[in-house]
Amino acid sequence: MKLPPKPHLFLLAGLLVAFGVQHYSDQINPYYLDVLTGIGINIILAVSLNLVNGYTGQFSLGHAGFMSVGAYLSAAVTLYFAPRWFGGAGGTAWQQGGLFLMALLAGGLSAAFAGLLVGVPSLRLKGDYLALVTLGFGEIIRVIFQNVDSLGGALGLNGIPPYTTIFWVLAFVAITIFVVTCLVNSTYGRGFLATRDDEIASEAVGLNTTRYKIVAFVIGAFFAGIAGGLYGHFKLTITPTGFDFTKSIEIVVMVILGGMGNTIGVILAAILLTLLPEVLRPIAEYRMVLYSFLLIVLMLARPQGLFNFKFGKSSKA
Amino acid sequence: MPAPLLQLEKTTIRFGGLTAVNGVDFTVGEGELCGLIGPNGAGKTTVFNVITGVYQATEGTVTFCGKNLAGLKVNEIVECGIARTFQNIRLFDSLSVFDNVRVACNLHRDTSAVQPLIRMNAFRADEAAIKQRAEELLDIFNLLRFRHAPAKSLPYGEQRRLEIVRCLATKPKLLLLDEPAAGMNPSEKVDLIRLIQQIQKQFNLSILLVEHSMKVVMGVCQRIAVLDYGVKIAEGSPAAIQSDPKVIEAYLGEDHTTSLSHH
Amino acid sequence: MSEFLQQLLNGLSLGAIYALIALGYTMVYGVLRFINFAHSDVFMVGAFIGYYLGKLIPEGTIWGGVLVLVAAMVGCALLGIRIERSAYRPLREPTKFNLVTILGAVVGGVLGYFLCNAIFAGRGAGDFTIPLRIMFCWSGAEGLSWLLSRTGWKVILWKTTGGAPTLNVLITAIGVSLLLEYTGQVFFGAAPRNFPALFPVHNFSLGTVIVSSNQLIVIVVSVILMVVLQLIVYRTKIGTAMRAVSLNPKAATLMGVNNDVVISFTFGLGSALAGAGGILYALNYPSIDPLMGVMPGLKAFVAAILGGIGNIPGAALGGLILGTVETFVAGSQFSTYKDAIAFAILIIILLFRPAGLLGKFTVEKV
Repeated sequence: MKLPPKPHLFLLAGLLVAFGVQHYSDQINPYYLDVLTGIGINIILAVSLNLVNGYTGQFSLGHAGFMSVGAYLSAAVTLYFAPRWFGGAGGTAWQQGGLFLMALLAGGLSAAFAGLLVGVPSLRLKGDYLALVTLGFGEIIRVIFQNVDSLGGALGLNGIPPYTTIFWVLAFVAITIFVVTCLVNSTYGRGFLATRDDEIASEAVGLNTTRYKIVAFVIGAFFAGIAGGLYGHFKLTITPTGFDFTKSIEIVVMVILGGMGNTIGVILAAILLTLLPEVLRPIAEYRMVLYSFLLIVLMLARPQGLFNFKFGKSSKA
Repeated sequence: MPAPLLQLEKTTIRFGGLTAVNGVDFTVGEGELCGLIGPNGAGKTTVFNVITGVYQATEGTVTFCGKNLAGLKVNEIVECGIARTFQNIRLFDSLSVFDNVRVACNLHRDTSAVQPLIRMNAFRADEAAIKQRAEELLDIFNLLRFRHAPAKSLPYGEQRRLEIVRCLATKPKLLLLDEPAAGMNPSEKVDLIRLIQQIQKQFNLSILLVEHSMKVVMGVCQRIAVLDYGVKIAEGSPAAIQSDPKVIEAYLGEDHTTSLSHH
Repeated sequence: MSEFLQQLLNGLSLGAIYALIALGYTMVYGVLRFINFAHSDVFMVGAFIGYYLGKLIPEGTIWGGVLVLVAAMVGCALLGIRIERSAYRPLREPTKFNLVTILGAVVGGVLGYFLCNAIFAGRGAGDFTIPLRIMFCWSGAEGLSWLLSRTGWKVILWKTTGGAPTLNVLITAIGVSLLLEYTGQVFFGAAPRNFPALFPVHNFSLGTVIVSSNQLIVIVVSVILMVVLQLIVYRTKIGTAMRAVSLNPKAATLMGVNNDVVISFTFGLGSALAGAGGILYALNYPSIDPLMGVMPGLKAFVAAILGGIGNIPGAALGGLILGTVETFVAGSQFSTYKDAIAFAILIIILLFRPAGLLGKFTVEKV
């Protein structure tokens, strides 16, 4: 996605839109608000994964694991501090917002740290192997949370305060898109794409490909953690199995459908793939069958994604 | 004798039971145009790979500007000032011609990696300077008009030139060219000879060439080393090499007294 | 001490199953350099074939069990070959998708469905309705599309260009895997079912160690299958062709090898082993459901990597080691982490010895 000339203004505009929608939120059908929240969370997940898979070419299948780290840790923060600071009253909207922001950042940073732990050892592996190691890490994270009883263990964590508002969701959507797009559209950021295209050549022009991969991983994990925090305070209950590799694959499908390395395409795909289950609710049983069938057909017929119009059919998927 | 820029001392590279390069001594001085030739499988690209850090020497040392390159990673060696092209051109396929060069300017970037998000004036100035430098380089080599085209859409000769331009963006002191004349017809080879000489003068660097085309090697290089089965069998000026019986034997087998002809 | 031996036996029995599945992964990787994610679901199909056929055989006979085992292996082999032809080959080679044959498959499937209904309407197939319908639909689809392909009528929908990056094939494999899992859920429901006893059940005691007959069958069958596999790979022409294709596909074609046939054969063989693995697993852990293949599949994959991907004895070794380690962990105080053990091993191996225990490390030529 080409960068508009004054990207900070666009970020500001995005935040204003978020604020505006929040302001009028009581006039909007709550069902639509919920769907919009779901779309926003998925956009954050897909755009952050796109940085890793699409722009840097590292096939990560463990994104849901980072999401779960963010979800659990942000919930732990709010569950711990809310009663202590606000007591039974629950605090004002501003107090809640402040705590929530703190919790989200804590979740994001923990997820980023997890991304570092996972990334540093894994990133010297290529292709299939990397996919599997990230999948393995995602599963390990899941098993760990299943065994941490103070976070609910296998039964999950309940009673998470409903702090997610449409403002936070849309605000972070804007921030995520801003960060990823600004990063990639710079001389430094071209390094991500170079690393994807040809690691050997990248090293030969002086790029530290390992560092690029880790940076992409960590940033991707951070935003996955934010998305997890938003998700947790939206659904109010989280379980370890809700973040298993099926969830990771759902996000991967969004990135592939959108075209790896194509932010706008990925956003559109995230919107489509959030709306589709809603639309297909009557045939929910067959949704995943249709999904997987479409995935196969997509790979056979249009591997560069549905929304990718750049370099034509020969684009790397 | 100019001070050696690059020095290989008794460099040996073994892969399991196979000794690809055996005890090679070789230097490249400042501003020199050197060549490395030998029959197929002689170990020439392996020597390149050791100099650039793709392989580590099993024995012996590789020194550049007085610094021992052992244990350095590929990108760290590029920071020291060595750049290379590849036998099978390795461009960044999904990037434009301009971006291929731009990404190589990262090495000498002034601003930190966080700047793309903050975009203060220093960042904008830096990006503008990079843009200018990249465009200048492309212009020198007549590639500016392609700057927005995808790199892989370029014709073969232009792709090779782009790869060289990309190397130059890293401000190297030593340029390693791996079979730059591969796939070229005679007139393109003449252009290549001129191009290499122009690069050496204009950018004030040393060039080490691995090449099969005798025409290019003899036309460009001041000093040539000959490898055969991983061992250096001869070194000297083009004229000396051409009439060296050991070299002739390596290329053409025994019982040949005619000197190597241009091809 | 006796508990140790007991656990060891249990571990070897589990490990043998992992080994069988791992062999399929490793063979396909050796020949095609990609990880067939759908392999674990072929394993599941094998178990389900065993489930239904198991109801047809008389209780507690050995020959009945063997018949079911063989049938499951054949069924899975056919499934594996079909998956390769339809989903993976078009990515590897330029393939034309002919509307005529595709329509033929759809129509054939529908015809099969109605034929099945017609034949079994009166009698009512009860439990077997679904597998019968599946079989009729599939045969109908394969049959009609094959017939139509012989006519030479062509309406090309699109053509794939072939030579797709491995990543695309990997994603397709994930798609096939999900398709099998969720289609399985649609057909069979997500609820677990009880797997029938295919073989007569006895418990033998070897000193203080108790061996169940099912465990014995697992070990015996696994050993037999692995020996047969070794014979095929090292003593037959097709086996040599498989090894040739895995080392250098282009050179193999130059030597007159039909790579497509070899690849189909490899998939068939690997899938047959997965099917056998499914039956053997279900004998010892008799609760089956459409998602049962996910964890054993992942673990078998780890076993293949542990032994050295592409290396056949390695897969067997890896399977045995993994099964044993997992069983000991399951019996220890860390039992809730037993699933994580496989992934921990995966990560350690990939970091410190990516070629695996028996594998060779190849250097990429610059």
